[in-house]
Amino acid sequence: MMRLAAMVLLVILTACPLGVQPSTPPVTWLATAALVMGGVGVIAWSVPLVAAAGSLVVIAYALALVVAGPAAEPLAAIALGSALVLVLALVHFGARVRGAVVGASVIAAQARQWLAVVGLGIVAAVALTAAAAPLGVALRGATLPVVVIAAALGAVLTVGGVIALVAREGPRL
Amino acid sequence: MTWRPTALNISFLTVVGWALFLAVLTGRVELAVVAVPAVVALVAGRRPGPPPAWRIRRELSSRRLLEDECVTVTLTLRADGPVPLVELLEPLPPRVGLERGSCHAFFTLPAGQEMRWTYDLRAAGRQHLRLEGPHLRVWGPLGLAAAEAQYRVPATVAVYPRQAPIRYLPYPLRTQTFVGNYVSPTQGEGIEPGDIRPFAPGDQIRHVNWRATLKLGPLHVTRHHQERNADVVLLLDTLSEVGPDGGTVVDAVARGAAALAAAYLARKDRVGLIEYGGQPRWVRPGAGRAHLERLLDALLSASVVFTYVDRDLDLVPPRILPPQALVVALSPLLDRRFVRVATDLAARGFDLLIIAVSPIPAARAAARRSAVAEVAARLWTLERRAELDEYRRRGLTIVEWDGAEPLDAVLAAFSRRARRRVLAG
Repeated sequence: MMRLAAMVLLVILTACPLGVQPSTPPVTWLATAALVMGGVGVIAWSVPLVAAAGSLVVIAYALALVVAGPAAEPLAAIALGSALVLVLALVHFGARVRGAVVGASVIAAQARQWLAVVGLGIVAAVALTAAAAPLGVALRGATLPVVVIAAALGAVLTVGGVIALVAREGPRL
Repeated sequence: MTWRPTALNISFLTVVGWALFLAVLTGRVELAVVAVPAVVALVAGRRPGPPPAWRIRRELSSRRLLEDECVTVTLTLRADGPVPLVELLEPLPPRVGLERGSCHAFFTLPAGQEMRWTYDLRAAGRQHLRLEGPHLRVWGPLGLAAAEAQYRVPATVAVYPRQAPIRYLPYPLRTQTFVGNYVSPTQGEGIEPGDIRPFAPGDQIRHVNWRATLKLGPLHVTRHHQERNADVVLLLDTLSEVGPDGGTVVDAVARGAAALAAAYLARKDRVGLIEYGGQPRWVRPGAGRAHLERLLDALLSASVVFTYVDRDLDLVPPRILPPQALVVALSPLLDRRFVRVATDLAARGFDLLIIAVSPIPAARAAARRSAVAEVAARLWTLERRAELDEYRRRGLTIVEWDGAEPLDAVLAAFSRRARRRVLAG
């Protein structure tokens, strides 16, 4: 049952880049590779494989956005991000509970927890998108390198901050 | 217990890194939005609050088992605060299998509520089954953080060798002075009628044989044979071992010795034990239920200890190996040192019976099945038969046992043969 749910989420993930640009060969290849890799990861309950598949999907999505160049569509991006979180959490949980006794109450509690976190993520994404709209208007006159440097700095700070938060709590399990 | 991040964080960070990198590279806001749920999840799952205090209690249904019996392990868990996901794992030692339930489980635990977790274990062979204690792991939201601890509450369960019932026990040649189940040639107090003799002062009226008295005239009394017990010493060969773990010849020897000890003790005999191996050990002959426990404890730890030192049975004190005792030796007869000791005992006049446990089935179970192995096993069988015949010619009494069939059946056949020999002789 958990494998089926993970497979459904994986199909949703790979459908996102194809929804933007369905016919371009590199996007199709990347999406297919991500589906195969993710499928193997789900069958073997391997989080690294599913994470790699997720990364491929993000690359395919970026490529599709660049090739098609559609207008900004945050809803599909929110769905992709949420599905990524859910599939990774689901596969990690499946790997942990393999061979163990798991009650229905445990799965229900986990599902509630996952949906709460994903809901929080969706709210945050919507809020950030809403906040970015006036910022985009304000930066309309800014030169491109300044925007790129600011965005890169922001991305590096975000990733660095998260790494620092995670690493501060001690060695990994 | 302290929270620690799990490997899932790296997976989330990889995805976040790719999304933000590509967002900057392509200048598409959608890619930055893709990263937002993962960043929120990473921050939300970072610090779930201090782990709650725990109380774990473990109960075992029994501390003493026989082979192939099950022990039920019950773990009771109680937490002060609510826990959405807790994992319990009891690592199982080798040669122990799960009969019912699982030793690995996940639970959701409300605050103050008690949770009971039960599973059955079955030990594959005689051993000291040692359970160290369960590992407990509390998982944070999304599995991004976990806190773990091991509750060290070691518990040991003694798994004794199986005691198959034996009806046809080898009879000892000589009896002892205590009351038992063997009819002694000596006349005295007993149930079995013996000679008839004229009445003498001091004889009890209940012993008067009225039929003989009426026939012969003066009062005659019936004398009775005394019922005596015997000393039995079980001599175990732990010099060599063949077979897979839990199914070695030493395991078969221990199983046979346990069955014989229980059967002889049930007949009120005194039973002793000598483990003849790299490190000789012994148990003084004794009787009773407590003594059976002592013997089973000794059999539990019977094992092969390698040594170059060649010891003789002379070092065994006479109170451990009484001269009048029936010595039942259980051995695969693979080591020449044991054969020499057995020959020496027989030459010194001990009432000796050797139960030769065949190592061939155990060796075949340990080896991979192949045509060569089959031929080797057949050749070994022939060689062993010739070897046992040679020992018999030297005057040793040998009963062959393959370790798998009931020992009672083997001893019943031996008793019939011995009786025929006595009748023919």
